[in-house]
Amino acid sequence: MKTTFGRRTMLATGAAALACPTVLRAQARGGDAVLAIVQAPPSLDAHVTSAQAARNVNLHLYETLFARDENARPVPDLAAGVRISEDGRTYVFPLRSDVRFHSGKRLEAEDVVASLDRCRRIGASASLLAAVDIVTATKRDEVTIRLKEVQATFLDNLSSPRAPIAIYPAEEAAKPANQIAFIGTGPFRFVEYRPDSHVRLERFGDYVPNPNARGRDGFAGRKEVSLNSATFRFMPEAGARTAALEAGEIHVVESVDGPTARRLQGNPRLAVYRALPFAFQVIKFNHALGPTADVRFRRAIVAALDMEEIMAVSFPDIFELDGAWIFPGTAFHTRDGTERYNRPDPALARRLLAEAGYRGERLTFIVDNLRSNVDTATVVQQRAREIGVAIDLSVSDWPTVSRIGFTPTGWHFWAHGFGIEPFEGPGSVMAPWVNGLSQQRPDPAIDAMFADLNRALDVSERQRIFARFQAHMWEQAVAIKAGNYGLFQAATRRLHDFVPYRIPRMWGVRLDA
Amino acid sequence: MMEPRDLASPAPWRRLLASRPFVIGGILLVVLVLAAALAPILAPHDPLRGNFRLRLAPPGPLHWLGTDHFGRDILSRLLFGARLSLAIGAATTLASGLAGTLIGASAGYFRRLDEPLMRLMDALMAFPAILLAMAVAATLGASVGNVIIALAVATTPHTSRVVRASVLVVRELEFVEAARSIGATETRILLRHVLLNCLGPLIVRLTYVFAIAVLAEAALSYIGVGPPPPAPSFGNIIAGGRDFLVTAPWITIAPGCAIIAIVLALNLLGDGLRDVLDPRLRP
Amino acid sequence: MLVAFLFRRLGGAAVVFLLVSMLAFLLVWLIPGDAVAVLLDAAASPEETARLRAALGLDRSPLAQMLAWYGGLARGQLGHSLLLNRSVAEALLERLPITLSLTALALAIAVVFGTSAGVGAALAHGGWLDQLLMGVALFGLSVPDFWLGLLFIIVFALGLGWFPTGGFVPISESLAGWARSMTLPGLALGLTQMGFIARMARSSMLDVLGQDFVRTAEAKGLSRSRIILAHALPNAMVPIVTVIGIVTGALLGGSVVIEQVFSIPGVGRLIVGAILARDFPVIQGGLLFLAGVYLLVNLIVDLLYAVIDPRVRLA
Repeated sequence: MKTTFGRRTMLATGAAALACPTVLRAQARGGDAVLAIVQAPPSLDAHVTSAQAARNVNLHLYETLFARDENARPVPDLAAGVRISEDGRTYVFPLRSDVRFHSGKRLEAEDVVASLDRCRRIGASASLLAAVDIVTATKRDEVTIRLKEVQATFLDNLSSPRAPIAIYPAEEAAKPANQIAFIGTGPFRFVEYRPDSHVRLERFGDYVPNPNARGRDGFAGRKEVSLNSATFRFMPEAGARTAALEAGEIHVVESVDGPTARRLQGNPRLAVYRALPFAFQVIKFNHALGPTADVRFRRAIVAALDMEEIMAVSFPDIFELDGAWIFPGTAFHTRDGTERYNRPDPALARRLLAEAGYRGERLTFIVDNLRSNVDTATVVQQRAREIGVAIDLSVSDWPTVSRIGFTPTGWHFWAHGFGIEPFEGPGSVMAPWVNGLSQQRPDPAIDAMFADLNRALDVSERQRIFARFQAHMWEQAVAIKAGNYGLFQAATRRLHDFVPYRIPRMWGVRLDA
Repeated sequence: MMEPRDLASPAPWRRLLASRPFVIGGILLVVLVLAAALAPILAPHDPLRGNFRLRLAPPGPLHWLGTDHFGRDILSRLLFGARLSLAIGAATTLASGLAGTLIGASAGYFRRLDEPLMRLMDALMAFPAILLAMAVAATLGASVGNVIIALAVATTPHTSRVVRASVLVVRELEFVEAARSIGATETRILLRHVLLNCLGPLIVRLTYVFAIAVLAEAALSYIGVGPPPPAPSFGNIIAGGRDFLVTAPWITIAPGCAIIAIVLALNLLGDGLRDVLDPRLRP
Repeated sequence: MLVAFLFRRLGGAAVVFLLVSMLAFLLVWLIPGDAVAVLLDAAASPEETARLRAALGLDRSPLAQMLAWYGGLARGQLGHSLLLNRSVAEALLERLPITLSLTALALAIAVVFGTSAGVGAALAHGGWLDQLLMGVALFGLSVPDFWLGLLFIIVFALGLGWFPTGGFVPISESLAGWARSMTLPGLALGLTQMGFIARMARSSMLDVLGQDFVRTAEAKGLSRSRIILAHALPNAMVPIVTVIGIVTGALLGGSVVIEQVFSIPGVGRLIVGAILARDFPVIQGGLLFLAGVYLLVNLIVDLLYAVIDPRVRLA
């Protein structure tokens, strides 16, 4: 996921990139790509879901005013740019004039107003728009957003891919959650959705790649499509995914495990890609209940664990050991506090346990049935047993686990990945720990740092705040970051120019017949 | 052909020992139960402790049946898994036997209870057991106890039907009439005379319940609603091999063979018992 | 007489149906968590969760949701899926042909192989072929169907590459593709049920062969094959038909797991997915639907039995 793209100016002017060689590309058009994805998208109504599986499909269908570039920075997508007032509270977005919806209708300001209103009402990331006071269509192709207060991260929020603030036609934006027709402005249009089987998308013929951008660039940039169609097949069984790839039934696999990736590398017809880092593996503690409320106990668990073992078992061959709470190579990456990371020391762990006064209570580790999370919990349970801590695993499906995990009782440990948060940046990494949301007991130090981060406009100041946060996470053992993990992706060599990203992007690629 | 049977008489035992399926199944089951019981002695490794540097090792002199993706010894996990499997099967059998007898006998003997009880049993039978178990697991959390509850709920309707059918037959026979005429109370008649004579079909049914429970427990664990990991249940071991069907098929194959051995032993035992105790069903 | 019997059975089925829907509601009401958790990632704030819950109508009391559901049912509607962007009826109808073709194929395999093996064993009564066939039948009964499916995947899909590892091709798209995608799951499901039918077929055939009319036919000098095909087999089929009801129930249950193993988008996977995602209207509708199929098949079997054997009507 290293990038070669430079920083782009926010107020790009239109003329520069008009000469892009679309004619040349047109010759190579064609191909029906089939992708295997592990989970089905819970919804194709982009506003109401923040699940990774939904982004895979939805970010081909829908676009946002601003979108993240390859480096996760916000750049204009449907907007031609932005003008920010002196007081920092008024944002004026001129819209691109060449954008059409899949229904054929032209994009207008009223669509943006209706879509933003819908996100604020029922959106899965409505909190990203919490600072918005009023959204108005000031011209037919100009939208003005007035904020209640200055928010340093407003453009980051508006461009977040988490639950994308997608622009729907106004009449769709008037409909209730999960009852819309899937009409967006993206480079692909919706054809068919068969639950438990597949979603089929087709190249949107009237799509005009953003003339203000150059090349493929994260979720923004020029989205040139040469494929005729892209079909996302939902294939939960790992063996089935690879067998279908080897048999030539599918062209891209979103995720293969380490041993299989090693085997596929020997196949001359296939290319194996590494998307690393893709996410963090995190073990959360309940600070509101029993021994895990005690910092000495939490530190004892940290000292009992060998992070390499956790990562190697949970994510064979595709992990990196890194204690930083942000991805390496990004502007906020720092070593502060990581001297406590991955220092297995059973003697220290036992001493800390004694200090914490642990008396053999049985503790509960809740975990959903995703294999890597169960694996992490199993390793932690085993290591804890060796220092005399008794842990029971409680494995349920995600709705049950997430219901329990956001209450102060019924659990002590909970492991799952954090993927989109570190991609989005320090604010998103800190947010889950604000108001004690994830640890179930407010931590005033974190709350204060988060408020500071939102107010600080200067990057180096923000970096200092984040370094303090990271040191605090390790010092207080608020939670354990076990390491970064990635995805092995595999594709036929007939697919050209594929670059792994947060989603398997089907624009900017070619498929030979 | 439908003479009341007395289990205490020596004849059935002699006939059982002459039954080949019963003897073969019995010996096989005894061997398997012994292996499970002696698991702590027989198992070459700790079933829960892995060595992540020896992950997915193929069968060899150190690990006879190979290792899983934690580097845990499959053979040791199978031996301990047999304990879990047999324990779940036995508990399910007991629960299904008690609940089935209570419901079936009440329905068969007290005519007013017959219709409501049997319609309720029909409703339970109309649910695929696996979905019922999933719902129970989602509600109460995955645990050994909840697996037993789910399997008992799923197997009780059929057991109660078997008991009810026997009660319906026995109720009308002369010796029950005789008991009634000498003034025995209904409860006493039900307990002393009717139920005792239903034992044959019930024992046969429960042997099959045991077999069904072993199979169903594996299916439940496979879809992730069985005993929670790291418990070495057969279904958990199979589920653990799902992502490694090509790279490490031994994880999947070995526990399946263990399941077949146990279920085969129980089915043979059931066939032998049926031939002797329940001649109506004799093939 | 037969009509009265039919009405009594239909009445019983309606009561069972109502009980099933109430049980389904009880389950839905007891299961913790709701569909919102599937839509949101772990970092969603409590306000976002509450807002989305209200948008999906999940903030109403269980009683209000139950009454609304029965109200819809009275108007012939099963409601709207919370997540699939379609009505429950549509979601079920698009899965129906898939699950039906899988169970029908498995049933056909079980009946054809099971009957042949059972009849063959009966004719070779006491011989080595009898022992072998019954041994195989017993073995089939003892194999977990989902494990057999995995074994087939390892050998025939991953190893030899003869069949796909999963997925489903509609028969309308390609007959060969359908056959290829259904062979392994159909066999895994059918072979494990085969043993049951084989044992039934054997005992029923033995019964018939021992009866007077067969002896009469033998005495009349009819050829053995003619006796078996024209006289014994049709009579022996009667009990076999009646076990089809039981086998169908087992197949419907088994298809739930087999659909998982082979990633087949059938009704079973719809309901499993709905349970995992807490898509309550789909859980309700799906369970009711499966119960309906089961009841219908058993009703048909009872009717057949009543037609064949009039004594049943009096019971």
